[in-house]
Amino acid sequence: MAVRPILLYPDSLLKSPAASLPLSDPSLPSLIQDMVDTLDDSPGVALAAPQIGYSVNLILVDVARKKGERGHGQVLLINPRILHQNGLRIVREGCLSVPDYTGNVRRYEQTVVEGTTPDGRVVVLTTSGFEALAFQHEIDHLGGILFLDRIESLSTDMFRRRAGPS
Amino acid sequence: MDRYAMLTAFGQDRPGIVAALAEGLYQLGCNIEDTCMTRLRGEFAMMVMVRLPAALAPDQLADRLASHTAPLGLTVLCREVPPQATALEPPSEKQIFILSVYGADRPGIVAQVARAVADHDGNITDMNTRVVGAPDRPVYVMILEIQLAAGSRPESLQEALDRLKPRLGVDITLRAIESVRF
Repeated sequence: MAVRPILLYPDSLLKSPAASLPLSDPSLPSLIQDMVDTLDDSPGVALAAPQIGYSVNLILVDVARKKGERGHGQVLLINPRILHQNGLRIVREGCLSVPDYTGNVRRYEQTVVEGTTPDGRVVVLTTSGFEALAFQHEIDHLGGILFLDRIESLSTDMFRRRAGPS
Repeated sequence: MDRYAMLTAFGQDRPGIVAALAEGLYQLGCNIEDTCMTRLRGEFAMMVMVRLPAALAPDQLADRLASHTAPLGLTVLCREVPPQATALEPPSEKQIFILSVYGADRPGIVAQVARAVADHDGNITDMNTRVVGAPDRPVYVMILEIQLAAGSRPESLQEALDRLKPRLGVDITLRAIESVRF
């Protein structure tokens, strides 16, 4: 078990799409343990494997670490993907890998996520609110996408939106 | 110790303004820190926080840039800012709100809305206004980003804004923006 350092941008791994992760991968148990240990040691509620240096499709979300949130509790998902999302909203977002900066991004209020649990079950989770935001943020990491790639300029958003379809 | 300056410049909008200013700063050895630039109708306005090279005094900057900015007709103003004003801010615990105000254009909208915000210890951190609508029926639109201290009550600001609505003949919406970090 080990707490790994959380990579900070401009580490190039954070901008690289992660690889699919076979359930049979022999390193999976230790990788999962590293993810859990690192999140426990951090102020955050979620982590993607690339953030601790493993460019594979694995995320850990545990919004219950935040006071007042429950969600689905601790969720480890291998090869997760978003099936459906609904309800656009603007959120001020920040990231452990990009310290001291936040920006307004467009996210969805509800997100349906599919993935494989470490014991091999394919699960579909319907998430909403804070937990939905966490899943969207972490699944973005697997695609090499940071919240910086999604920032909406405040003025652009407010004044130019009606100029064209969006 | 590094010295910093705040530079504001504006002029008739055209392609190449940002390039000319940035090239001038680069050639002088200045480092562009944070900036905000936007077009206000036909004018392009720039606000730039600049870290100065040791050999350049803040009051020399505008003159030394003139060979780049004068051909474009830019007005350039520059003042030193204290180093403590240039420190990066750690993530804030303050509550963030977007305030939208719009209605038939009339004098005093900005003043009275901003006063209500200030009286509730709200800090305006970003603000845009536009006159839109048909020429004979101009509509004033004002979008502000406001920070309220953690624990302060947005309800009392909301009530004050509600009282302003009929007086100013405007619609006002105050929305909390959830702030999250993953």
